[in-house]
Amino acid sequence: MTSPLPEAPQGPLPAIAISVEKLSAAYGGRTVLDEVTLQIPRGTSFALLGPNGAGKTTLLNILSTLRRPDGGSASVAGADVVRQQTLARRSLGVVFQDSSLDDRLSAWENLEFHGLVYGMAPKLRRERSAAVLALVELEDWRDDIVRSFSGGMRRRLEIARALLHEPQILFLDEPTVGLDAQTRLRIWRYLDEMRRERQLTVLTTTHYIEEVESADTVCIIDHGRIIAEGSPEVLKSRHGSRWLHVVPRDQAALDAIRAQRPDAQLLGQHGLALPADDGAMTDAFLTAFRDRLTEVRFQDPTLESVFLSLTGRQLRDRADGDRDAERAAGRRGGRR
Amino acid sequence: MNTFVMALRGLYGVWLREITRATRDRAQLIGGISRPLIWLLILGVGLNPYFRGEVYGEVRYVIPYTYLQFLFPAVIVLNIMYTSIQFAVSVIWDREFGFLREVLVSPMPRWLILLGKVLGGATVAMLHGGLVLILARFADVTLSLEQTAVALVLMFVLAFGLTSFGVILAARVRSFEGFGVFSNTVILPLYFTSSSVFPLDPALTRAQQAVTYPEWLVFLVQINPITYAVDALRGVLINFNQFPPLWGPLVIVAMAVVFFIIALIDFNRQ
Repeated sequence: MTSPLPEAPQGPLPAIAISVEKLSAAYGGRTVLDEVTLQIPRGTSFALLGPNGAGKTTLLNILSTLRRPDGGSASVAGADVVRQQTLARRSLGVVFQDSSLDDRLSAWENLEFHGLVYGMAPKLRRERSAAVLALVELEDWRDDIVRSFSGGMRRRLEIARALLHEPQILFLDEPTVGLDAQTRLRIWRYLDEMRRERQLTVLTTTHYIEEVESADTVCIIDHGRIIAEGSPEVLKSRHGSRWLHVVPRDQAALDAIRAQRPDAQLLGQHGLALPADDGAMTDAFLTAFRDRLTEVRFQDPTLESVFLSLTGRQLRDRADGDRDAERAAGRRGGRR
Repeated sequence: MNTFVMALRGLYGVWLREITRATRDRAQLIGGISRPLIWLLILGVGLNPYFRGEVYGEVRYVIPYTYLQFLFPAVIVLNIMYTSIQFAVSVIWDREFGFLREVLVSPMPRWLILLGKVLGGATVAMLHGGLVLILARFADVTLSLEQTAVALVLMFVLAFGLTSFGVILAARVRSFEGFGVFSNTVILPLYFTSSSVFPLDPALTRAQQAVTYPEWLVFLVQINPITYAVDALRGVLINFNQFPPLWGPLVIVAMAVVFFIIALIDFNRQ
């Protein structure tokens, strides 16, 4: 008989936590991932940055064995995600984008369930459950039914649950939506500690720039393709550029600027962003339009501008906001 | 050894969750209590006098049971059917509200997840069937400890098969609303054609022996597997069988095996 739950591999753990080789995926003919290749070293924090629909969640679903790739291969903690699913799952902790808690159980019961399903012994279950509940400051709610929890509390409980079985690799899909700054900081600090002490690897997907500034490596993904990869500093110096943000006084001024500077990009409703790396051109522009601007501001390279210069788009366009709102509404409506 | 213990823990976890959820679902519990009361108190008591005896002339009984006694095992099966098939809602719930992913990324193999869920649902359904047993005295059914034990085993295996059937339905139904309508159109016809509320041979007295049911009805009753489940429980509880006594338990076990295998194929495909 084959044992249903193989044990973790013996010996030293592989230096590469996640390895992705020419991974492709398609939904009904539409390519979602296009030959993505990635190597994520153990103990690092890696952020996948890209707009909604870029393929981030599909990549995470494949890595967490929920979806089979249509081409290429991937492995987590040395286990192939198609052929060695059980082994791969054992090393993973996953926080999904939408809640996957049982809202008819209490916080403690949700953790207890998780511990049992991961085969943890009773004593270890109790200790770890108490520890992770303390981490996300939900001790006072341990016996409350999850249905009464706010969105932020659910999020915290979910992160606590993913850490319960001490995974080698943690997936966080849009993790801090709905978390206050204090909790976010606390959780990131804990994850940093785990990375140093236990070589935990953290893979985050997000479309919030603020979340990736502290990552070791940022990977910008758009339309299922990796368009840049590196530490935030490297990305900024390589792809980022200084931008000049201006607000023209009226529509006529805006049109005039766009006519003269075709490289200007619309910024929100009234603003424009112009590449400002060329000092002479910038001076010429400012001299010409000085009287027709209401606001002028220089923007040092940010990851936002890296994304802008790589894709020609803002990372968080309005469509994204709409979709977020829609999803939140769906969640509210789905709750009984 | 260690992996075996871990698998057992996982199985226990999935089972326990179903039990915990069921105890918090008041509506289901109320249904489980009120359904047998309505069937036995109103239908059973109301029809009891018409089941036997003759209004005119001499009374000669062919089967020595009252209608309440005859109906009693069928109401147990009805309660199990409702709870088991409604279990599909729990499966749809897991799928639609994302909880399923939490289990699917865990190291538990899928067949073990499904087994845990079905065992949990079957336990709850068996307990709902067991609620009816409390009314035994009232229905003039006297039960020995041994009879009760055998009945509970049969009820559990039946509940296991029907819960698996619920999972099969769940894989084919997309919405909760659709399922509500669907389950009633499945449960009630199966129940009524299982020789639950009337015996297959209408001749209760000598004067009625000339009467027979139309062939199509007899045919429906005979091909309905629930018929044999009801018959098995009648054999145990009131010592009355309309079919060879072994058929009932055999059909119950066959349903459990076949439905679980189909449910597993469905579950693996998701």
